Amino acid sequence: MKVNQNPLSPHLQIYRWQISSLLSITHRISGVINLLALILIFFWLIFLSSGENNYESFLLIFNSFFGKFILISFSWSMSFHILSGIRHLFWDFGYGFEIKTANISGVIVIFLSLVLTIVFWLFARGFI
Amino acid sequence: MVQFNLPKNSKILKGNYFKDETGSSNIKVVHVYRWDPEKNENPREDTFEVDLNTCGNKVLDILNKIKSDLDSSLAFRKSCAHGVCGSCAMNVDGVNTLSCMKSHKEIKGELRIFPLPHLKVIKDLVADLSTLYKQYESIEPWLKTTELKSQTSEINQSKENRDKLDGLYECIMCACCSTSCPSYWWNGDKYLGPAVLLQAYRWISDSRDEEKKERLKMVADKLKLYRCHTIMNCTSSCPKGLNPAKAIASIKKMLVSS
Repeated sequence: MKVNQNPLSPHLQIYRWQISSLLSITHRISGVINLLALILIFFWLIFLSSGENNYESFLLIFNSFFGKFILISFSWSMSFHILSGIRHLFWDFGYGFEIKTANISGVIVIFLSLVLTIVFWLFARGFI
Repeated sequence: MVQFNLPKNSKILKGNYFKDETGSSNIKVVHVYRWDPEKNENPREDTFEVDLNTCGNKVLDILNKIKSDLDSSLAFRKSCAHGVCGSCAMNVDGVNTLSCMKSHKEIKGELRIFPLPHLKVIKDLVADLSTLYKQYESIEPWLKTTELKSQTSEINQSKENRDKLDGLYECIMCACCSTSCPSYWWNGDKYLGPAVLLQAYRWISDSRDEEKKERLKMVADKLKLYRCHTIMNCTSSCPKGLNPAKAIASIKKMLVSS
């Protein structure tokens, strides 16, 4: 009889995503993205302090389509992370653990994060 | 470092195809994870065409039928077939459950069956749960009282205190929750996992137990307890409808307020 090392049963490859697990990993990823956004804000400050010409070139990048996409993504990521964080706080107090409640609160977080992003940009652009 | 991919010897290959020979019009295509310890081969996914006209409603009925009619070498654990023993826990259609409780009629299209995730496979759908049992032992799952008291008289429990055990004592340790938890996948050797933590909470909440403080102290550990990030895969997979995520949160809450 040949001796084989036992295999590991499949996990991530086969496990069906749930709303809860998807939001959990998105919360983590958005946390990392927020850190990148924070770094970007510092760069913005550096360019701001280094004179008009440098700041102009910075603006050029962020007024482009790609730049706007990045900025809007960052504001969504921040909105999502804050709202999802509030959801986590409710859990820490012991509320909202039923699967149905958790799924509904998850969908609410996604919806509100989009609303918050839109409101933020309407506000930033002076529409409200 | 967390390894997201399967190791080389665990990659799943295409397996054998068992075509239906009954000529039935009611066929379910079932893919089953196979691994034979006596052959020096990678695991494979065999496909069976199962005649549903002569098969019961549950996923376990399908497995029994495959074993009796199509391939008798298939290995899986089962015992009570009524959701009480917890033996037939496996991954059905992407979610851990007891195959004896899960109706295959709820699953549209082809059915995929794997052993419980991220465990050492012993054979086919039988996986090694010994780490989990050791962790279960480590929380000392028995009533602890001073000897004198328990020997001389019955320990009474009020109705309210007894109610605190509802939703905890029903756990049958099938390991569906623990093996559904990504945190347990990556840190299964250190993190206790939802099943064991729910059991720990069951003894912490028992009014008759006299070592509540010691029990809390024992689980209050960065890895043992706080690796739970409320992913909630445990609660959504529990075939008994229990809520391990809530039990873990309750332990965390107790630790903050005690």
